[in-house]
Amino acid sequence: MRAPILVPTVLRNLARKPATNLFPKTEPVPVPEDFRGQLRYNVDKCVGCRMCVTVCPAGVFVYLPDIRKVALWTARCVYCKQCVDVCPTGALEMSDEFLLASYDNGDDKFIPLKEEKIEEIRRKLEEQKKAKEQAKAKAEKK
Amino acid sequence: MDVMGNIVYPVAGLLGLYGFVSLASLLWEGIDRKLVARMQRRVGPPLIQPFYDFLKLMSKETIVPNTANYMFRAAPVLALATAIALLAYTPMGFTPIMASKGDVIVFIYLLALISFFKIVGAISSGSPYAKIGAAREATVMVSREPAMMLAIFAIMWRLGKLGVDKPFSMGIFYQHNIWEIGTPMSFVGAIILLYVFCVWLASEIEVGFFNIPDAEEEIAEGLLVEYSGRYLALLKLTKALKAYIAASLVVAIFFPWGITDYFNLTGLSADVVNLLFHTLKVFILLFVVESVFRAVTGRLKITQAVDFLWKNVFLASLVGSLLIAMEVIM
Repeated sequence: MRAPILVPTVLRNLARKPATNLFPKTEPVPVPEDFRGQLRYNVDKCVGCRMCVTVCPAGVFVYLPDIRKVALWTARCVYCKQCVDVCPTGALEMSDEFLLASYDNGDDKFIPLKEEKIEEIRRKLEEQKKAKEQAKAKAEKK
Repeated sequence: MDVMGNIVYPVAGLLGLYGFVSLASLLWEGIDRKLVARMQRRVGPPLIQPFYDFLKLMSKETIVPNTANYMFRAAPVLALATAIALLAYTPMGFTPIMASKGDVIVFIYLLALISFFKIVGAISSGSPYAKIGAAREATVMVSREPAMMLAIFAIMWRLGKLGVDKPFSMGIFYQHNIWEIGTPMSFVGAIILLYVFCVWLASEIEVGFFNIPDAEEEIAEGLLVEYSGRYLALLKLTKALKAYIAASLVVAIFFPWGITDYFNLTGLSADVVNLLFHTLKVFILLFVVESVFRAVTGRLKITQAVDFLWKNVFLASLVGSLLIAMEVIM
């Protein structure tokens, strides 16, 4: 029987401090440098090239042709970082956020580009268009 | 008839003991979990976690399977009732409340009856997993009891030779103990029997090698697979009481010394101090037999356990009993 060789180990452990991290009371274990956490999306940098839509294995991205941006729902994200690597403008990046539990799948934190923001961009584009047309009309009048 | 002496005081004593032992045995479970956690360098649950568990199970919905018959509901209650009745015959630092001539048989019978009720409850549930667990429990039960019975009868018979008023009573250990016999042979025999009783205790409370009937990983909790809610709470409480009672027996046989003589206490205060000191001894014994044993070993297969109990423990019991009895026989 080989069991007794464990007895000294076990008794020594009894005198030692527990080797655990008491999470809610303390900070969580620090993340490494290249940690892949919650995906962040910078709308202003996005040029709508659709590379991320092509490369994403989980179907996080939906291309919005009228505003040339992508809508995304990171609750489906598998944290593979391929969209970040492929994005030519650096509009996507991985943060080190990993405490993402939620009561709701459609929580705001999973949707970086909100509906209101989309509307806002749409309106802005419209205005730009109008401004352009007016400018064109003026130019033709002259 | 002396109503106070024969009925009221024993009942009051039994209720008091039941209250105390429930608290102490559940507290021990908490201490045990904490100690095993620390042995594995974890923090472990708070000491009163078993009380929380008990209350939570009590408040949960109790589900009774369609296939269960009435014994499924009755068995947990009967098992707990048996354990409470057993408290009246358990030596706990003082002579048991109901101690009388030959009550060792009652003690062994009631202790086996708890396991029996668990088996009956399990096979009444209709789950094949519970039936496998019940078969294992029965196998281990018939394998472990002979070694203990042979040893305890030999010890009681030998102590009876030293002159006691109630032979084969559980109170006998507080009149004479086996270290008093004093010959080298009986000393060696007592050490061997101490080994036998430690293994018996481990198999009685199903830890370490003998965690077979409840094997969570193989047969999904075995005996307890269909139990939930209140019935599970009762069975867990019964298990804790049984651990305390079985350890009490070993403590009473091998370490019966009290401390009241040093403080010149008599009467009720002496009993209370003895009970507390006895509880301390039970905790120390359970630390060795339960916590450490549980932390350093896995379980045996059922065939290995039967082999171990018959070929190792029963033989040791035989040898130890013969050594204890030697100078009387010759």
